[in-house]
Amino acid sequence: MTPTPDATPSAQPERPGMRDGVCSEFTVFTKIKPGHADALREDLATLAGGSSDTDARAALRQIGTLHDARHVIFDNDTRHMFASVFDGSWDTYIDDFGKTAIGGRFDKVFSHAEGFPGITDPKIKDWFLAQQAPAGVFVSSYPDLTVQQIWKDQRVNEAFQAVLDTPEFRAALDNPANAELLATPAFQKLMEEAAG
Amino acid sequence: MNAGASTGGAGVRIEIDDIQSGALHPRPAPYVGRFIFLRVADRHAGRSLLRRLLPAIEGGLPSVDPSQDAWVAVAFTYQGLRAMGVPQESLDSFPRAFRQGMAARADLIGDLGESAPAHWEPPFGTGDVHIALSALSPDAARLDKALERARIAYQDTPGVQVIWQQEVHQLPTGRTTFGFRDGISHPNIEGLGLPGSNPQETPIKAGEFILGYPDETGNLPPMPSPDVLGRNGTYVAVRKIHTKVAAWRQYLRANTASAQEEALLAAKMVGRWPSGAPLTLTPDHDDAALGADPHRNNDFMYRANDDRGFRCPAGAHIRRTNPRDATIIGDARMHRLIRRGTSYGPPLPEGVLEDDGADRGLVGVFIGANLERQFEFIKAEWVNDGNFIGFPGEKDPVAGHHGGTGSATIPEKPIRRRLQNLPSFVVTRGGEYCFLPGLRALRWLAELED
Repeated sequence: MTPTPDATPSAQPERPGMRDGVCSEFTVFTKIKPGHADALREDLATLAGGSSDTDARAALRQIGTLHDARHVIFDNDTRHMFASVFDGSWDTYIDDFGKTAIGGRFDKVFSHAEGFPGITDPKIKDWFLAQQAPAGVFVSSYPDLTVQQIWKDQRVNEAFQAVLDTPEFRAALDNPANAELLATPAFQKLMEEAAG
Repeated sequence: MNAGASTGGAGVRIEIDDIQSGALHPRPAPYVGRFIFLRVADRHAGRSLLRRLLPAIEGGLPSVDPSQDAWVAVAFTYQGLRAMGVPQESLDSFPRAFRQGMAARADLIGDLGESAPAHWEPPFGTGDVHIALSALSPDAARLDKALERARIAYQDTPGVQVIWQQEVHQLPTGRTTFGFRDGISHPNIEGLGLPGSNPQETPIKAGEFILGYPDETGNLPPMPSPDVLGRNGTYVAVRKIHTKVAAWRQYLRANTASAQEEALLAAKMVGRWPSGAPLTLTPDHDDAALGADPHRNNDFMYRANDDRGFRCPAGAHIRRTNPRDATIIGDARMHRLIRRGTSYGPPLPEGVLEDDGADRGLVGVFIGANLERQFEFIKAEWVNDGNFIGFPGEKDPVAGHHGGTGSATIPEKPIRRRLQNLPSFVVTRGGEYCFLPGLRALRWLAELED
């Protein structure tokens, strides 16, 4: 894909990706600089796993809006795909990330792409936009849930399951003093989930 | 007039005297002011007006004591710059949000339903607003004096029409129509020689507020061309907001059991007590002395003692719109604004719970070098959503448009309180994006030829 000439340098890009509920997809295809495929592969491996797995998780925590992402090198090591799903839009926090370690990670990967201006460059949104190919179909199985909500849901469920594992909770259910609470529709709903 | 220039961090020299006083100046207290929207028939009328207006426009920070100052500022909408005959190439170099105007961005910033541009007060959003004059002063006498030259300029220039005016004034209570002290917070801008209101705030790069200087990204903010037009200018989002004071009081009354609870619930929604004392510093009761002390009433952060928001909820109005160092998604320093709220209309007398039909509210002025990253981001991510603080879908309890279905979480032990079925307490009456040029740029505009 060739970057589209932009008559208005300061214009912010439109957001062409597809949306389902609270999140949207963002896929870019870049040309790998000649001879850079192995270096890119190495950087991706370093960033994604091995000893820096903790860093990778911390980076995702810090982003806080990224559902998942993948990097694919294809076409005989000449092209690179970055496919991702973000809450809201991919560019909402791009200026913010530029100032953090996240920006450094982006810089490292995309420095192997032709024409990449750098994550803190004022034209960065235009550049990504020029490499973007919107999906034809994008569906989510949980269109109402942001990453923040999913994390919260996970924490709450784990805590809930831990409560169910305590004999004291089981005993409390049999305690007549709690009958009034147990009879409420809201608590009944909770017990539906507790049953298994 | 103080020194002509000051040196910012990293040796950036800020041409303060070329920046309109109205850009950076904190609002005086007390204050009176006026907003005047003008339409010009053609470029010649516009330039003729501007030439007469120029002597009325001051640059710099006239005094460190804001109560001594009065000023007139002149700003242009995109339609206004077109009407002035600014070359197309230059018009095209402005950022998209500004070119489109606030009405076209209504979906993005959440002006929907009764706040949608279709219901705005004319001439907001019609494209007729070309020039926005604003004047603020500690009293009426100085306001009239400051405006006199401007008035002669727009009254005596053929082809210039006053299409809207709005008086603003501090209410006798010294508080907003909702009953809270405002005008407290002002960012600490690097190199300006004007102290910020929070001594704990690390200075924000001048380029976040004025074009032509490095911003928080390390770059120069996107600047329109030619250089002389953009340099030392900034963008202003002006909004007229109607406040439903009776609905606010009714909501508080209906959801509490005592006057004390009522005051606490209101404070939890705002983030401050009526005196201006912040909940983070005094969580259980108002503290009038703290609220009135400009050295203390904004001297706080959140992370060390209140990150979970048990004192000031993460969703409270002042914490959403200025999260300081609280744990959020992203970097709060990338989304700072100069805010200047000014009240209009009569106050609803204390204790009255029924709407008296009077129009009251505020004209809010939001100033920054990047409309999209600052004003629009704050509206979309911080005021109209709560994902950034871990409460997706929740809006600012005070400034959000809830339409009767809003919710707000107030952290509390053992169990959080959740407000549900919140109504809207504000309605957008209209708004415009304006460009507030530097003084050299104003002369460049006045001297355009063809």
